[in-house]
Amino acid sequence: MRLLTTTTSTALAVLGVAWGSQAWAADYPSKPIEMVVAYGAGGSTDTMARIFAKYAEEELGQRMVVVNKPGAGGELGWVYLANSEPDGYTIGLINSPSVETHPFTRADTVGYTLNDLLPLANVVTDPGVLAVAADSPWQSLDEMVQAVRAEPRSVTVSHEGIGGDDHLAALNFASTAGIELNFVSFNGNAEATAALLGGHIDAFEGNMSEAASHIGEGDVRGLAVWSGERMDAITDVPTGAEQGYEVISSASRGLALPAGVPDEVYQRLIEVSRSVIENPEFVAELDKLNMPLDPLYGDEYAASLEASQQSLKAVWDKNPWIEP
Amino acid sequence: MDILVTALANVMTPVALATLVLGTLAGMLVGALPGLSSTMGVALCIPITFSMPPELALILLGAVYVSSVYGGSVTAILLRTPGTDASIATALDGYPMAVAGRGAEAIGMATLASLFGGLVSVVVLLAIAPPLSTIALAFGPQEYTWLAIFGLVTIVGVVSERPVKGVLSAAVGLMLACVGLDSFTGEQRFTFGQSELFDGVPLLPVLIGLFSVSQAFNLAVPSQSGVLSEGAQRFAGRSFPLWADIRRCLRTLGRSSVIGSIVGILPGAGTSIAAFISYNEARRHSAHPERFGKGEIEGVAASEAANNAVTGGTLIPTLTLGIPGNAVTAVFVGGLTIHGMIPGPSLFTQHAESTYTLIVSLLFANVLFAVLGLWLCRYMVSVTRVPGGVLGPLILLFSVVGSYALRNEMFDVWLAVGFGLLGYFMERWRYPAAPLVIALILGPILEVNFRRAMQIAQWDLTTFVTRPLSLALCLLVVLALVVPVWRRWRLRRSLTL
Repeated sequence: MRLLTTTTSTALAVLGVAWGSQAWAADYPSKPIEMVVAYGAGGSTDTMARIFAKYAEEELGQRMVVVNKPGAGGELGWVYLANSEPDGYTIGLINSPSVETHPFTRADTVGYTLNDLLPLANVVTDPGVLAVAADSPWQSLDEMVQAVRAEPRSVTVSHEGIGGDDHLAALNFASTAGIELNFVSFNGNAEATAALLGGHIDAFEGNMSEAASHIGEGDVRGLAVWSGERMDAITDVPTGAEQGYEVISSASRGLALPAGVPDEVYQRLIEVSRSVIENPEFVAELDKLNMPLDPLYGDEYAASLEASQQSLKAVWDKNPWIEP
Repeated sequence: MDILVTALANVMTPVALATLVLGTLAGMLVGALPGLSSTMGVALCIPITFSMPPELALILLGAVYVSSVYGGSVTAILLRTPGTDASIATALDGYPMAVAGRGAEAIGMATLASLFGGLVSVVVLLAIAPPLSTIALAFGPQEYTWLAIFGLVTIVGVVSERPVKGVLSAAVGLMLACVGLDSFTGEQRFTFGQSELFDGVPLLPVLIGLFSVSQAFNLAVPSQSGVLSEGAQRFAGRSFPLWADIRRCLRTLGRSSVIGSIVGILPGAGTSIAAFISYNEARRHSAHPERFGKGEIEGVAASEAANNAVTGGTLIPTLTLGIPGNAVTAVFVGGLTIHGMIPGPSLFTQHAESTYTLIVSLLFANVLFAVLGLWLCRYMVSVTRVPGGVLGPLILLFSVVGSYALRNEMFDVWLAVGFGLLGYFMERWRYPAAPLVIALILGPILEVNFRRAMQIAQWDLTTFVTRPLSLALCLLVVLALVVPVWRRWRLRRSLTL
């Protein structure tokens, strides 16, 4: 079915080019827009993309066709986005920090750089959470750190992929606290949560949107949220800084275009993004999914991606998390 | 009890019933087409459910889910082109039956078995979901390691005719399972810098290649194109299995439904493991194990009861703990949260009405696909009368579409074509393809869980036998390996004496 819609939109695109070489930015958009999601259908990035598309369609008066190109931790989709025609008819979702780290951790093989993308707007910033099962003896980061000091490397912590935001957050915490943790890699949140609740691992590093419901139910206790201030969905969970561990970490989802899109189209899409993100219905839907909004537009968003990439690169150069 | 009546009333409204029928038909179609997985079917429905009331949304998603697992059996039996990995084990005996002109009967049994397995698992979900959900938590990396080994042991059952060739095929599958980024160190293994291979060799294109594309090649080769239609000409018209056959399969149906429900509860274990373990158990307990793989109706029953029992099983941890049992139910969770229902205990208190409506609608969906299946069966069988010259290209077309649709990557289409050639020659030289697929599915489960267990136990190998559940699974594996050998030895001795 998706192929059909892709084929139709491609056919429409070809028609559009043949028939409307006059179609300047003023008429934008005059045909359906492709929205590339670099993760699988049904995942949290995909869900957010489809909700965004629903509201953006109202603003633009054109269909937005979500196309999933999952693989290689987002790389396949971003390479596709970077190489697509910069005419505003292809928009993509980009996920931080992966979109920033691939270009230097996979320097030999990677097919895009940040310069190939034109950041449009950040939508969601989902802070990292370090959590333990409800029956764990640890009530705070300090107690956990003491346990690790007593028996180095004995404490197992889950993460959902090497070099992903969970792994980087836990690494950051470990180096801030001066401890060594025993990292266990899991494929996604479900397996990691099951292992935590079953007592197979000692602690869980994930994102707030995934952990909030379990923290709310009381079967999981959040030791720290890696954000600047406490989050509304989990007000009882203190930040790392409150407990003396200055760690900030999150996973962000935003929108980007291939570099080289005409300025009028770019400005128009920033305005569309702004109206969607400020739409109370959109806000309410994301709230249900525990996805905290963190709007940043255009240059501001680009600058934050750039800065984040530089600081991650500095960490990598000093102490790479993948052995070269 | 009141809540069940309310739920029943919710399902019995005209709109709900229409949704149910549409969802069931869509699911059957998704399951039957190669490459359109259950996950994709449910994911494609999510945007449609945005604007629906929560009860209707859940009815739609549930119906698509359970009927897509059943739908895979039809093409697996008639064309040996399983739509999803869940139906590979069904093809092992279903296709030989179709070739012998008993395709409708095989579909009939597959339908009854799917209904049986589906109903058992929904009843389990309805009655004892909360206590059973603890199974999902009791299984740690050590236990998953044994489960994967147990699954690999079933390969022996699948290939008992040609053990060496079967083990070779499995070895190739295990080697392919090594491809991709190492999830513990991030190192690239055999990826040749191809980012399409970073997540490993994708399963679906391999499956489509080995089974569907190779079948298309088979049909295109003149000397072989007659195989399928010749048998189908002799088709006697019986679409309901003999009562004697059903009675003979009752124990297998029961056993497979239990296996399916339990494997379903385990996050990340997978539908095909349940089907293969059940198939192997049915063969082990059969008085005529030598008939398996040649058109034994009990093999079809075992596989189909198990794979549909998985559907209810996967919903148990999803609804009670908020831990999705597989990729489909992970998509389900997305669908639930959009409607403000956060999976977990509150589903049975705060949102009890919607939750029970879903469960009751699953009972309906199971019955509905069975009725539709039995009714459409005789029409579906006529597909085998289509000449190979037409059927082959059609299968090829769906294979290309299916392998592309997974990630919208041409790479995957070439992969499917490559594996189609491999599958074609494997079949000619009598290497079974199923062990390759089982090994490709189980290899990564075995590897990551072994390494997780090693890290957690600080490289102490005894962890695999010192945990009670681990030890029990270990003994199961030993039994599964030793009993057939011992039986054969006893048989040989009684023959020589």
